[in-house]
Amino acid sequence: MPAAGMPPLPQSPPEIPPQGPPKISPQGPPQSPPQSPLNSCSSPLLWTRLDEESSSEEEEDTATWQALPESESLPRYALDEKVAELVQFLLLRYQTKEPVPKAEMLTTVIKKYNDYFPMIFGKAHELIELIFGIALTEMDPDNHSYFFEDLLGLTYEGSLMDDQGMPQNCLLILILSMISIKGSCVPEEVLCEVLSAIGVCAGREHFIYGNPRKLLIIDWVQRKYLEYREVPNNAPPRYEFLWGPRAHSEASKRKVLEFLAKYHRLGDLDNTHVFSHISGR
Amino acid sequence: MQGSTRRMGVMTDVHRRFLQLLMTHGVLEEWDVKRLQRHCYKVHDRNATVDKLEDFINNINSVLESLYIEIKRGVTEDDGRPIYALVNLATTSISKMATDFAENELDLFRKALELIIDSETGFASSTNILNLVDQLKGKKMRKKEAEQVLQKFVQNKWLIEKEGEFTLHGRAILEMEQYIRETYPDAVKICNICHSLLIQGQSCETCGIRMHLPCVAKYFQSNAEPRCPHCNDYWPHEIPEVFDPEKERESGISKSNKKSLRSRQH
Repeated sequence: MPAAGMPPLPQSPPEIPPQGPPKISPQGPPQSPPQSPLNSCSSPLLWTRLDEESSSEEEEDTATWQALPESESLPRYALDEKVAELVQFLLLRYQTKEPVPKAEMLTTVIKKYNDYFPMIFGKAHELIELIFGIALTEMDPDNHSYFFEDLLGLTYEGSLMDDQGMPQNCLLILILSMISIKGSCVPEEVLCEVLSAIGVCAGREHFIYGNPRKLLIIDWVQRKYLEYREVPNNAPPRYEFLWGPRAHSEASKRKVLEFLAKYHRLGDLDNTHVFSHISGR
Repeated sequence: MQGSTRRMGVMTDVHRRFLQLLMTHGVLEEWDVKRLQRHCYKVHDRNATVDKLEDFINNINSVLESLYIEIKRGVTEDDGRPIYALVNLATTSISKMATDFAENELDLFRKALELIIDSETGFASSTNILNLVDQLKGKKMRKKEAEQVLQKFVQNKWLIEKEGEFTLHGRAILEMEQYIRETYPDAVKICNICHSLLIQGQSCETCGIRMHLPCVAKYFQSNAEPRCPHCNDYWPHEIPEVFDPEKERESGISKSNKKSLRSRQH
């Protein structure tokens, strides 16, 4: 992942074969169309760097669609506008945290520019990565749906040193570890109490987490990091949290507890309070 | 992409995280924006000096320019608090709401918006909005449902509710000013001082010009005899105080406790 001092956005277009607008490839972008020399690369960032290398051979020009002869029939500004529109559309969908079907992109944004979808999507996808640090990954080749992933690499270690409040995935790890310590599930009320102890309150908007209730019950459940289920035979209904399937595949109980131990030693949390809550019941 | 690579800023993970978080929040007050900025530095580039917020945002905006998006700064109409939102520049419809709301809900918003713009005070009563429920496009909506939809607008910061009446949230004004001015060119009110869209404000009883409350506060600051800038007649309304972020933080007034100066002074 490029560090600070990232070079400015590449000026040259993706490699497009001269025989005409690319056919919509069955795998769909982020890979460029099958005929292109960039066929072998799967990482969009690599694609960008290859782009930059090839651009030094081309005329220093700021126009994006220069290399595509067919674009004479399609005004350059029209494609630029479509890219901007698609980016805006994708950013909106990013906030719902749900995958975006390619079909929806075609009907809502692309419309009559169907043939140019790979180009438009490729550019939009690249810009979203470079500017927002959000990646669009295809769910599976048959599905033609894309889901959003955060590229900004908040590692377990990277988030430890923050003393102004914890980044999102750090909070998630804390919750997962709590669930592990309690066995396999933790009642909602217990979780809320512990979160309040570290300043994350259910009713109030947090300057990083936004709405904590929404984050836990909607966002993380949708992304399958958590499961939220009703405890049977309770009136009024009570709920509990468990590890979601994605948490099981991406984290392990051991790793999560290691993280917790590290945090405890560093004293970044008001740990006595938090841990007494967890272990004391 | 417009070829403005010459003056384009440099995007790092600090800026990207900032954008992600600002986008997720929809709108943020300046104090929270500054905390957010510091948080992003801490997480992604802890040794760097934190840029001045204005420069930081201008840097990001120079990159966003080619996408017709920008981080826009505005001021709340009732008490002059600075707010920030990521807005679309090119679109002239209420498309940002389109992902969260159904067709009939969007139409309800449009109806409420029209009532607000046409009103003298910038507020539309719940009753008047709900009476329009039969005229909505799309699936039929009952009044009970409409009440809940209005609350959803409030939660998502498109509307503000005060005592059963609704007006536009600062976020809506930031995002939709262009759309509103283009769609309702005759009904729209403009502030005499800043020349921006005016929903709530004070007006001169003689000549009818209008001013935002924060604009009034700044214009008449420490003026013992406030007079209308247009007709010079005595300005009959209470002059609010200029918003002071330092003072606010010191006294620890939380947003929910603060009694906003509600303008009924038209």
